[in-house]
Amino acid sequence: MKKSTTALAVLAAASLSLGLAACGSNNDTGTSTTGAATTGAPSGDITGKTLTVWTWDPTFNIYAMQEAEKVYQKTHPDFKLTIVETPWDDLQTKLTTLAQSNTTDQLPDIFLVQNNAYQKNVINYPELFADYGNAGIDFSQFPQSVVDYSVIDGKNYGLPFDNGAVIAGYRTDVLQQAGYKLDDFTDLTWSDWLTKAKDVLAKTGKPLLSGQANSSDTIMMMLQSAGASLFDADGKPTIVDNAALEKAIATYQELVKAGVFTEVNSWDEYVQTFVNGNVAGTINGCWILGSIQSATAQSGKWDITDMPKLEGVDGATNYSANGGSSWAISANANYALAADFLKSTFAGSTEFYDTILPSSGALANWAPAAKSAVYAQPQAFFSNDAIYTKIVSYAGKVPSNNTGAYYYEARDAVSTAITKIMGGTDMATALKEAQDTVEFAMQ
Amino acid sequence: MSTIDLTPDQAGVRTPARHRGTGLEKKRSLTGWIFLLPAALLICWMNFYPMIQAFLLSLQSGKGAKLTWAHPAWYNYARLFKDPQFLQTLKTTFIYLVIQVPIMLILALILATLLNSKTLRFKGLFRTAIFLPCAVSLVSYSFVFRTLFSTDGPVNDALMGLHLISSPVNWLANAGTARFVIILGLLWRWTGYNMVFYLAGLQNIDYSTFEAARIDGAGPVKTFIYVTIPQLKPMILLTAIMSTNGTLQLFDESWNLTQGGPANMSMSMSHYLYQLSFQNNPNIGYGSAVSYAILIMVAILALIQMRVGDRRD
Amino acid sequence: MIVVTSLVVENATVVRPLGPAPASRGVPRWLRKAPTYIFLTIVAVASVYPLYFMVVGATNTSPDVLGSRLLPGGNLFANFRALVAAQDLGGALWHSSLNAVLTTIAALAVCSIAGYGFEVFHSKGKDRVMSLLLLAMMIPFAATMIPLFRMFAQFGLLNSTFAVILPAISTPFLILLFRQSARSFPHEVLEAARIDGLSEFWIFVRIFVPTMRSTYAAAAVITFMNAWNNFLWPRVILVANRYQTMPMLISNFRAGYVIDYGVLMLAVLIASLPTMIVFLVLQRSFANGITGAIK
Repeated sequence: MKKSTTALAVLAAASLSLGLAACGSNNDTGTSTTGAATTGAPSGDITGKTLTVWTWDPTFNIYAMQEAEKVYQKTHPDFKLTIVETPWDDLQTKLTTLAQSNTTDQLPDIFLVQNNAYQKNVINYPELFADYGNAGIDFSQFPQSVVDYSVIDGKNYGLPFDNGAVIAGYRTDVLQQAGYKLDDFTDLTWSDWLTKAKDVLAKTGKPLLSGQANSSDTIMMMLQSAGASLFDADGKPTIVDNAALEKAIATYQELVKAGVFTEVNSWDEYVQTFVNGNVAGTINGCWILGSIQSATAQSGKWDITDMPKLEGVDGATNYSANGGSSWAISANANYALAADFLKSTFAGSTEFYDTILPSSGALANWAPAAKSAVYAQPQAFFSNDAIYTKIVSYAGKVPSNNTGAYYYEARDAVSTAITKIMGGTDMATALKEAQDTVEFAMQ
Repeated sequence: MSTIDLTPDQAGVRTPARHRGTGLEKKRSLTGWIFLLPAALLICWMNFYPMIQAFLLSLQSGKGAKLTWAHPAWYNYARLFKDPQFLQTLKTTFIYLVIQVPIMLILALILATLLNSKTLRFKGLFRTAIFLPCAVSLVSYSFVFRTLFSTDGPVNDALMGLHLISSPVNWLANAGTARFVIILGLLWRWTGYNMVFYLAGLQNIDYSTFEAARIDGAGPVKTFIYVTIPQLKPMILLTAIMSTNGTLQLFDESWNLTQGGPANMSMSMSHYLYQLSFQNNPNIGYGSAVSYAILIMVAILALIQMRVGDRRD
Repeated sequence: MIVVTSLVVENATVVRPLGPAPASRGVPRWLRKAPTYIFLTIVAVASVYPLYFMVVGATNTSPDVLGSRLLPGGNLFANFRALVAAQDLGGALWHSSLNAVLTTIAALAVCSIAGYGFEVFHSKGKDRVMSLLLLAMMIPFAATMIPLFRMFAQFGLLNSTFAVILPAISTPFLILLFRQSARSFPHEVLEAARIDGLSEFWIFVRIFVPTMRSTYAAAAVITFMNAWNNFLWPRVILVANRYQTMPMLISNFRAGYVIDYGVLMLAVLIASLPTMIVFLVLQRSFANGITGAIK
């Protein structure tokens, strides 16, 4: 027995040293984040020279942050940015975990938030955010509809960056084959569009649109183009008796029935439909341009214009938005430095936007940047059209919509309703069910 | 919290120390407790403590981080029965459980038995190939499955070619077919995984038992039923409990293959829980109640399996 | 078919039937085995197909992967360069390996001795404790993650490898696996060792561990795989992302507006290889049956 006790002690000691070894290894292994030296706690930096940022996408947001760092370093040579690559889904999980466990001291100085998720996060977890009240940023230089996503109780919580303005991209060669020009698909209503799209399908065999079968993206874009949303000003769901929503769903049904909108199963398949040339166009947030351009063989054959508008709906326009994101300053930030950095770059440097546009396609929401000559450059891939100027002008015309804290619940409920309607359920019944689902979630 | 009673019918019968006096027996029993102490303490610390916290959360209501004690205390649990979406995910998850788990375990048993044969060649190759699916990254697996079952994908092409269907099936857009794809995915991914436990279990059985059965004239089917299955009973119990647990907590396939669609018809309970806690307007109290509902269901099923399969006879 | 008169399984021995041994069926052996080979080949091919797709995808361009091209392409090196340019591949492999290896060693040590303790010294009390411990695995991790995170934060253990592996060391599943396997551990051997004067701990180390090689191999493969693929917990507990793991790296690749599927396939291929290699090495233990140790 004595022997076994000794042996057990040895085992215990071994596992303890294993634990210690594991602990020790933390301190000497290399860093895997973009920044060179990582600060332990991201903030409360006494020297006031470094900031930590959480964001995702190396070719887009991260790249933009790196360029912003360079721009700011010209006036502040000691400045240093630590960028922690974190995809949005993971970032959201982290934010929730930190807020629910009262460990907000782990927050970075700046993080990127999806526009659609702003209301939900700020309303539920105000302790995570600092508002832009003392940042000295002129928000009137950004499109109102984009700023509105991150305004809660009259305070600004987000600096718009990633542009989600909707574009309609078409294969001009296919349109031509059917006897149309891009102008024929510009500033028109959905019913005119449908007539022409059917003609294109008949003559070329190619549908003009595609999308995920269980997604409500297209309908949400139509909805916002008329300034409508799924909630009223008091935050009550308005899924039933919503004329714009009903019109949008009816329009979508017609598109699918006519065969000009191909429903597919997944995002990968959706991208594939236009990359492989089976579908001759797409309507989505302007960030889809990157995916379009991955089909290098189709260079010069694409061009963009605005989207069709809903007929007989008050406030209908040809402009909408899908996605997009804005920079938040955390409650744990070195506020003065973070605000000054953002103000001098994302809200104050034409040079910065001129640098990032050509190599990443990251479009400014900041109006002064769009006046730059860089934005007016013709783009070879898109039939030598100055597409960036176009998009910025669309962005300015997008009507505001009210996302609300329950945006995701409502969007999912509408997706479910659409699936049921497409499967034959009566529209009023399906929408009533969706309304009930959202109201239940709000209880 | 109820515990699952594993008490065997004839506890202690196999403890040879019994007739040697109680002193030695006590000492041995103590040794046993010391052996399991580190593991038990770690589980108390890493699992039970957070579970108690989660239980306390399930008695609270409110959105975000501002939670208050619910009135009545079982408010979140009562909500489960009124929530059509939860009841939907419950039904879907049980469909997965009832269809997939038995097929998978039987298939895994058959494969393990075939691969345990001494005369079979290329055993290592077969074993590795059949285990591979659970090692392959979820990303490529879900991508491949979606591609296979896409509207213009190979599965539709093959079925059309055989004139079994007249027009392509939109597999992931119909509730029944989407669930079928998930079940198929689960079978594909986890059969080899369970096979590994049976293979390991078979190594602990004296091979001469099988040879004896063969010499005695038992065919492969009889040997399988009368020799292999009884000998593997402890492992079958283990895999049955693990698969039940895994399926009731299913998340990956629902999340990656179908995103819960169409119309949430293929969504699992764990997927719904994740949505409640992290994607939607956070309702942590209710999310905790959902997770306790899952725990209770797994525990009841495990209890039944233990009662049936853990007899020491 | 010869009728087996009495095939009774009792204490792992088969009572011999009265009838004579089976006569040869007059069919060549290879033909009798043919259905087995055909069946196994079909299962194996179906199992390997997504792996093949992944390997081929890693050599192709993004549009080719999207188009489900099934032939190897010439883009492997370009994909690799893009991968290492965008992400710290070496760091992620190192951190994942460290987590997986430490977890596997610690988990096997802690859980196997516990499973042995539960079975070899079993009593009503221990069976009750075992069933209580099983409850720990029956709750979705998403529910306990936030309280667990809060606990690690209070101890100041955020951002540490220690915090990544600690919750994965003692699992009811592994304990149960060893408990169930210990059931087939022959008690005569145990008694013989006791008579030889070996202490209980050394019986475990010198006799049980070598005998249960195949169980250890299975446990190692599964634990390694789970630790290697663990995503949610490392992502949350490593708040500052200092020790990015392979699953985190892959998640990064899928977050962009434009996904390069060729690079993604290469990344997931690299991420899948270690588990396959571990299995390939350890699967030999499933070949030989009970080794000489107890005979």
